[in-house]
Amino acid sequence: MNKKNYLNSINNSQKPFIIYKTIKGFDLFTDFSKKIILNNQNIKHFLNQNHSSKKKYKSTDLYIGFFGYELLNNLIGIKVPRQKSINFPKGIFYKPETKINLKEDLIYESQSTHKINRNFKINIDQNLYTKIFDKFKKKIRSGQTYQIKICTKYKNKSQIDPLDFFCRLAKTNLAPEAFMIKDKNYSIISCSPENLINKKGSSISTKPIAGTLRKTKNINKRKALNFFKNNIKETKEHNMIVDMERNDLSRICIPGSVKLKKEKSVEEYKDLYHYVSLISGKLKEKVENIDIIKAMMPGGSVIGCPKISTLNLLNNQEKENRNIYTGSFGFIKFNGDMRFNIIIRSILNYKNISEISVASGVVIDSNAKHEFNENFIKAKALIDLYK
Amino acid sequence: MIYVIDHKDSFTHNVVHQFSLFDDVKCDDFSKINKSKLNQASTIVFSPGPGSPKDYPLSSKIYKEFKGKKKIIGICLGFQQILFSEGAKIVQQNKIYHGFQSEVLVNKSSKLFNAGSKFKVGRYHSLKLKEPFQAENFDITMRCAISGAAMSFENNIDKIYGFQFHPESFLTLNGKLLIKKILSA
Repeated sequence: MNKKNYLNSINNSQKPFIIYKTIKGFDLFTDFSKKIILNNQNIKHFLNQNHSSKKKYKSTDLYIGFFGYELLNNLIGIKVPRQKSINFPKGIFYKPETKINLKEDLIYESQSTHKINRNFKINIDQNLYTKIFDKFKKKIRSGQTYQIKICTKYKNKSQIDPLDFFCRLAKTNLAPEAFMIKDKNYSIISCSPENLINKKGSSISTKPIAGTLRKTKNINKRKALNFFKNNIKETKEHNMIVDMERNDLSRICIPGSVKLKKEKSVEEYKDLYHYVSLISGKLKEKVENIDIIKAMMPGGSVIGCPKISTLNLLNNQEKENRNIYTGSFGFIKFNGDMRFNIIIRSILNYKNISEISVASGVVIDSNAKHEFNENFIKAKALIDLYK
Repeated sequence: MIYVIDHKDSFTHNVVHQFSLFDDVKCDDFSKINKSKLNQASTIVFSPGPGSPKDYPLSSKIYKEFKGKKKIIGICLGFQQILFSEGAKIVQQNKIYHGFQSEVLVNKSSKLFNAGSKFKVGRYHSLKLKEPFQAENFDITMRCAISGAAMSFENNIDKIYGFQFHPESFLTLNGKLLIKKILSA
């Protein structure tokens, strides 16, 4: 098949497919022979499946898909109170039979003729945001949490061409954990920058991001590093996340093996700089993939710290289901290797309703107005696709 | 064996990891304490955690039961938990330290560390010890070099030790040495 027209033909075929960023380009997965809708009952069975008896693996010997936020809470014994919900599945995984490598520059011409609605509604206005913010600040003062992320949601109704959105997003904002899913009644378009689990054999690493700086003409990588280093608030937030991720890896790794490989470095992306650390470890012998998922998910950097008490505070505050937001997308290979990201900077389009969730952190010295605007800036890159 | 009592913190397993370099470590949630592990342990460690000592009466009970019988170590909330059980008041501070690296200074009452030496340490605490505080055989042995807030105590008679800061944090230089000293004390 001519690769140039491949994206157009797969899109026209109406077959569900998934695209996931790789180091050099993208992998496209399709021809799904199985689709597993996850719930609290079947997730343990799904994660405990053992395929590792095989000697030779094909590149399609894997399950690819996502865990939603609520499912990951329930998996570690945290209840989410009854919330407003669109009844979107809690998690879905697919078994692909075809995998295609794509180059970084995706060529696709949308033939969609639907008019796109550009107006979004936000679920928490600045007033309400400030109230929640002040409440959480009190919780920080009394020591119940040290850092907590307030989530706001932007919604609109429109019929979109997800592949067109994804290709445009990949041009303006090429993120290392970008992915898209197109299925019959839903799609996800994401430019997630954050890797949560990278497991190969007994090696595991995680790469938390805490700290974002917009690119301008006057800033280069070195200046960005200085900005982060001299910004006490960003530094403290980042430190907290590093210690929390060290902790989560320590649950499943051999004592002494958890190492901070890269401490507070700057990574440069098309529009922004991220403050990033890399932590790695060697897995203990008897650790199963389910233990790894339970130790690492939901990813701490997008929740706050300490994880359990902060999740409880969030769940009691939030009136709407987070769905995919702050869940994880990725794959589990039949040989046991895994790669998962954190689902942020993403659009969920379900039954022609789009939702974009964003969050920013409350620490003791953050400012409500600043964080509210920060949320909008994060959403804007995605909202701008609606034209 | 060292038994770590976890107050559902996101740093507890850093503590477990660090202590594991010296001895066999077991760790359970504070609400699911195993009696026989508790009895077998040579050292009990109260972990960091959210909230304040009054939220964890079970941990105070364990402290009182084993005081003088086993070595007891408290970190952050655990530090406060021990002092609270000794009658101290634990109060909110004006300036809050979360993810903060600061310098602590050892004073003359320390038997384990040299007076005048300084350590760079990681801090994650909203609350602090209200002073003046007095309890038999307890000495405040390290203080924040800037604010003077209590950062460590020693009770060398009953072998009870505590750090308000986090020796297991990557922000603490020489954290391993601090733990080694109190474990061999």
